[in-house]
Amino acid sequence: MVAKMLVLPIIIPLSAALLSFAIRERFRRVQAAISLSAALLNLLVALKLFKTSFEFVLPWAGFGIEFSLKSQHFSNFIVLASAGFAFLVCLYSVAFLQYRKTYKLFFAFLLLAVSFTNGAALADNLLVLLFFWEGLLLALFGMIAIGNKGAFKTAIKAFIIVGISDLCMMLGVALTGSLAGTLTISKINLPLDGLGSIAFTLLMIGAISKAGAMPFHSWIPDAAIDAPLPFMALVPAALEKLLGIYFLARLSLEMFRLTPASWVSIMLMIIGVITIVLAVMMALIQKDYKKLLSYHAISQVGYMILGIGTAVPAGIVGGLFHMLNNALYKSGLFLSAGAVEKQAGTTDLEKLGGLGKKMPLTFICFCICAASISGVPPFNGFFSKELLYDGALQRGWIFYALACAGSFFTAASFLKLGHAAFLGKLGPDKEKLKEVAAPMLFPMVVIAFLCVIFGVFNFLPLNIFIQPILGSERLGAHNFSGFPADLKLVAVTIAVLLAALLNHYFGVKTKGSALKAVDHIHYALGLSAIYALAEKRFFDPYNLGLKIARRVGKIAFCWDRKINWLYDCFIVNLTFALSGQIRRWHTGNYSTYLVWSLIGSCIITLFFVFSL
Amino acid sequence: MLSGLILLPFFSLIILNLPFRALMRRLSFGLFQCLALAQIILVLSPSVFLSGSSSFGVDRFFKFNLINDNLTRLMLLCIGMVLLVTVFVCRYTIKGPSERFNFINLLLIALIGTNGVVMANDIFSLFVFMEITAVASFILVAFHKKADALEAAFKYIILSEFAAVLMLTAIALLLFICGSASFPAINAALKNSPQNFLIMPAIGIFLCGLFVKAGLVPFHAWLPDAHSAAPAAVSVFLSGLQIKILGAYTAIRLVTSVFGYSRPVTQILMLVGSVSIIFGGLAALRQSDFKRMLAYSSISQVGYIFLGLGSGSALGLLGAVFHLFNHAVFKSLLFVNAAAVEAQAGTRDMDKMSGLAARMPLTGLTSLLAGLSAAGVPPLAGFWSKLIIVAALWISGHYVYAFAAVLGSLITLAYILSLQRRVFFGKIKAEFQEVKEAGFALALPALVLAAITVAVGIIFPFLAQMPKF
Repeated sequence: MVAKMLVLPIIIPLSAALLSFAIRERFRRVQAAISLSAALLNLLVALKLFKTSFEFVLPWAGFGIEFSLKSQHFSNFIVLASAGFAFLVCLYSVAFLQYRKTYKLFFAFLLLAVSFTNGAALADNLLVLLFFWEGLLLALFGMIAIGNKGAFKTAIKAFIIVGISDLCMMLGVALTGSLAGTLTISKINLPLDGLGSIAFTLLMIGAISKAGAMPFHSWIPDAAIDAPLPFMALVPAALEKLLGIYFLARLSLEMFRLTPASWVSIMLMIIGVITIVLAVMMALIQKDYKKLLSYHAISQVGYMILGIGTAVPAGIVGGLFHMLNNALYKSGLFLSAGAVEKQAGTTDLEKLGGLGKKMPLTFICFCICAASISGVPPFNGFFSKELLYDGALQRGWIFYALACAGSFFTAASFLKLGHAAFLGKLGPDKEKLKEVAAPMLFPMVVIAFLCVIFGVFNFLPLNIFIQPILGSERLGAHNFSGFPADLKLVAVTIAVLLAALLNHYFGVKTKGSALKAVDHIHYALGLSAIYALAEKRFFDPYNLGLKIARRVGKIAFCWDRKINWLYDCFIVNLTFALSGQIRRWHTGNYSTYLVWSLIGSCIITLFFVFSL
Repeated sequence: MLSGLILLPFFSLIILNLPFRALMRRLSFGLFQCLALAQIILVLSPSVFLSGSSSFGVDRFFKFNLINDNLTRLMLLCIGMVLLVTVFVCRYTIKGPSERFNFINLLLIALIGTNGVVMANDIFSLFVFMEITAVASFILVAFHKKADALEAAFKYIILSEFAAVLMLTAIALLLFICGSASFPAINAALKNSPQNFLIMPAIGIFLCGLFVKAGLVPFHAWLPDAHSAAPAAVSVFLSGLQIKILGAYTAIRLVTSVFGYSRPVTQILMLVGSVSIIFGGLAALRQSDFKRMLAYSSISQVGYIFLGLGSGSALGLLGAVFHLFNHAVFKSLLFVNAAAVEAQAGTRDMDKMSGLAARMPLTGLTSLLAGLSAAGVPPLAGFWSKLIIVAALWISGHYVYAFAAVLGSLITLAYILSLQRRVFFGKIKAEFQEVKEAGFALALPALVLAAITVAVGIIFPFLAQMPKF
């Protein structure tokens, strides 16, 4: 009876989504009501599920493929978190999307995304997981595609990038299944040797690309511009991060025994720091509110991957805590971007300024979230980053140094963003701006509040959500709640933050504008050329892939023309020449024909004579 | 009873030419129809042949020693079928009552000849019946006494008589060696003295004669002229039946039960067969005359029969006989379509036609079915026979010939599609706007033959037991 409750987090949003598709465009309020109540119901079910542990198995397709769901602590936590974000974003979207044409489709896809996320989090069979995983891609595609004009192209881009990595994951699922002899996730326990590490890598590609790490990131900045904004706050900022890191953590904690000694651990950490540094460098020079945030959405994933990759308890706890924190403040930041877009009509930083006076609550929420992401004590981001630094330092100073550099640029870019958008002079046409409506304000306030709570009382999330994931066996005697133990690391962090502040002050003084505060880095020797290329998407793996595909296509086309010539010209002309010749031989002269017959008979008769 | 199949047409011929000409003229068409239908029914009803003795007692007066096996029965079925179609076409295309009467008389002679060929059990009767058929064919080709038809008939006579000379020579040699003309006797004698210096040349010379009759390359030159210049109904008979009865059936009969599969025989059969397939197909590709293209196609398709026969295996033989039957069906059908197009559009030049399928949908559809069957497109009948032939060649290790057979199939598809495109597809030309579907006399045979092609193709794979010969 109770075990069947496990299906509810999948069924409720799914049926609401299908209902939304069916409702006519005119009945917006009905549709909003259905979506909101479904999201709320989903949240209640998730709350009820938390702290339970069930299994639900339905024989499905044979060959060991069972529709099996399993509620355990980690899955329940993901379901609960995504349900919370889904409800908040749903509420926000009702006000945000008020007059958009795509209103109905957006809610339908949103609920679909929630349903598939829940399914993927609860799945206990790799194929079932894969099914929901791909389903999420469908919802993702739909939500991007209903954005503004260029959105369809971006949707295709996202679809191809995520699709390719999902293909890797499919291979990984197949390989894992054949190595382990079962597809049930909770029964898989493989060593990280030759084939095992290949299987891990393939599955990991699926996980980190869902989370949006480099080099599978390049659709996110495009989607930030093209897709409806609540999509960014929900899917890339929250759901996909939660799901991707959830799967990565289960991979490295349960299915494969990741140890600090294995090369896979090093690989994960390298991916992590590269993602942190490169993405934050790109974020630094952005001149658009949403685009800047989207690069941070990529950069922060690096911290989580780095944390899990360290394979030491401090790092893993830090990575998972960072996952939760990031989902919170990144959603909050995107929601604030939505508030600005809604009220000011643009997110271009050059046209913004001085909004703080007109939208004080939004500004406060932004400040809290920005402080969190920059790692300012006592907000939640500070504590998870300290844990990460601790873990990284245990594995090598270079990882620690690069992570700190990432922090520096994060702080610098948010100083620039906040200064340029909310402080400074108010544009002449922005005099009549007001604070946003309550349904949009409420989610932001809740999220900002949680950022503070999870920071000041960090034992709450750590003890309730995060540390049980590792279990007492892995965690040992550690308890990471409370203020960081290593004060030296805290001192370094504060020094980095102060350096960022100084850098900002210096930039504003020399260039005279908040927007140009980081121009001395942007146009530094050597960097400016690289930046120029990056702005032209020279380093975008998707564009590189497209270029290669085009080259290959050209070569294939040339080759195809050659083959075509062989078939269409050579053979046809040869045949026609032969048949024309044959036609010319038939002169209609019977004596010629008689001669042919005579010669033929002679040859055949002679053949028979000589065959004796 | 078997002898009745020769005697009945013979007496019909005599009765038709007694006095009461006016009455006989009216009766002739129905009489011939009845004879052909009776032949089909007799062949299809199994009990008749089982009772060896005749119920009419004619055997007392005419001592016939005839073959009665499945191969002969299948040939008799083909003869009945194609001649029935021929007489339908003649009813539509030959309008004058006296001309039609003459035509039917000639067809009766052809019926006697072909029936005799497939039932003859000695080599000399075989030759005589072949010449009976040939003489009727000469006159049929020149029936309208037009210049090109007369010229074609003349060429046909020259080459056919050349073949007759060859065959007579061979028969004389065989008689000299074996002392008897009957098939079993010759076969026994050949087995006794396989190293006789005269046997191999005799067989070779006889086969050359058969190649002329079958129209294989390089003995084919009479065929395109005769088949395209002849009246429409005659083309159906010649291409659909005559070359296969005189050439292919005779070769099958003689090789299987008289000459035996010696190495040179199979080699020559396969070589000539594959050369004919490729050569005939290539020649057909560039023709602009509807019937001439079909005539070249006949050369190519008869090549398949010889190729299957030459593979020397039971499977190949099955393929050859099956293809013989299929070819009789689809080539007759194509010539019926050609007759319809020629009668309605008034021309045989394919370059002048276009889009006729819009005005003659039935003709277009049936010719497409027949053409695809010829090209060996599944699930039509031609696919299975070609498949069997290719498989037999492959199994017996003749990879080059198997390749030639497949290549020939591709060429067939090329010219068939070119024919369809030029005649039936595309936009209809203004001068053909008023063209109508040909009448019942052509539509009925076309439909029946198309149905046979499709039905045989679909049923064939389900036939558990293959016919035995």
